[in-house]
Amino acid sequence: MAKKDYMVRMRNIRKSYGENTVLKNIDLDVKKGEVLAIIGPSGSGKSTLLRCLNHLESIDSGTIEVVGETFATDDGYGSASYVSPKEERKFLGYMGMVFQQFNLFPHMTVMENLIKAPMLVQKKSREEILPLAQSLLEKVGLSDKADSYPGRLSGGQQQRVAIARALCMQPEIMLFDEPTSALDPELTGEVLRTMRQLAEEHMTMLVVTHEMNFAREVANKVMFMADGFVVEQGTPEEVFGNPQQERTRSFLHNML
Amino acid sequence: MNELGHYITPLLEGTGVTLEIFLLTFVLVLPLGLIAALGRLSRFRIVRMVLEVYIWLMRGTPLMLQLLFVYFALPLAGIKLPDIAAALLAFTLNYTAYFAEIFRAGIQSINKGQYEAAHMLGMTYPQTMWHIIIPQMVRRVLPPMSNETINLVKDTSLIYILAMNDLLRAARTIVQREFDMTPFVVAACFYLGMTFVLTWVFKRLEDHFGRYEL
Repeated sequence: MAKKDYMVRMRNIRKSYGENTVLKNIDLDVKKGEVLAIIGPSGSGKSTLLRCLNHLESIDSGTIEVVGETFATDDGYGSASYVSPKEERKFLGYMGMVFQQFNLFPHMTVMENLIKAPMLVQKKSREEILPLAQSLLEKVGLSDKADSYPGRLSGGQQQRVAIARALCMQPEIMLFDEPTSALDPELTGEVLRTMRQLAEEHMTMLVVTHEMNFAREVANKVMFMADGFVVEQGTPEEVFGNPQQERTRSFLHNML
Repeated sequence: MNELGHYITPLLEGTGVTLEIFLLTFVLVLPLGLIAALGRLSRFRIVRMVLEVYIWLMRGTPLMLQLLFVYFALPLAGIKLPDIAAALLAFTLNYTAYFAEIFRAGIQSINKGQYEAAHMLGMTYPQTMWHIIIPQMVRRVLPPMSNETINLVKDTSLIYILAMNDLLRAARTIVQREFDMTPFVVAACFYLGMTFVLTWVFKRLEDHFGRYEL
């Protein structure tokens, strides 16, 4: 398979906080249109992996390629560096991110949350970006909330706005970091539905999640991490139906 | 009535001087305080250290002493400023330090997630500060800013030692000449009037910047 068919390629990723090594030689491949679910117990390094991919954290060594281009590279002596801040903007444009805590801008209306970055970063005019923003709000079912402030929305609505905000930058890849973990149980459904819809439209997605049903039904590939290692990966049928590792079995047993 | 009439003119003139010093200082202190706050949070150690020393000096010595220094010591070093400029320099240096600390606390109170969201959307540091962080900071620093601004109005009365005819000095001159305490009462009312207006303005600003809160 040609290099550019991989949207994300991570090789030998290592990351430590002092003595504590949280990522131990992780390899990860995601092809165009694939949905990868990353599951595992708390502290397994799955969120850190996602945050290293978009440089909210830095890897210690390894290489990262995004859309076939090198984003972070090893110097050959075991330490890695990311591209320059100027070039970084291009890579961040490839990736949209949805956070556990939504991180909407509370002082802006829902519509401003969507159009601010396209206007500032992509230098689009308001008129240029409004149609896309409106169609995205419609897509996440919140057209009537365009002029509301995030503080007046429920958690589920806020997270759907956050998804629309990320999509408004027209990314190639969407990263989800436990998008439903901060939500009341009755509100997770509406967010998962939106994500499922994105998956059906063949958006490339990396989803760190505790929602086993979502991982099983929506993902093409499931990666189980524990203690900074990839313990097991495969199709949902393989990982959920016939886990090979004892660690995976006991985790799934506790989750389901 | 007639008596009150001839007090009023010098007292109003004094109020003019007070307001002039206050407004000019306030307008200078806002941007300077913000710049100093950003400097205090700079990733360059030397910038942080210089500002820490500056803030320590300004907050650690009496404003009166700073005024006297600018007014009497600088001319000895060959720097002779007009009265009003000397007063402005002293007040601005002093209040910038206080405002810098208020702004710094406000900036640091903003959730880290706001920076992360801005980073992911590709915003630069100046864009993040200007469009995301500072607008949220403003809402949070308005109450302590209101305090300091009211202090500034009252602290302008310190310039009476510089022989400038501000409100307090104008009142004192009449009191000493006519052995009548009424001008002090009138001056107090003028100060109260100014601080009342400021309190009201800050209340309105809090409502305006807090409109997104529940």
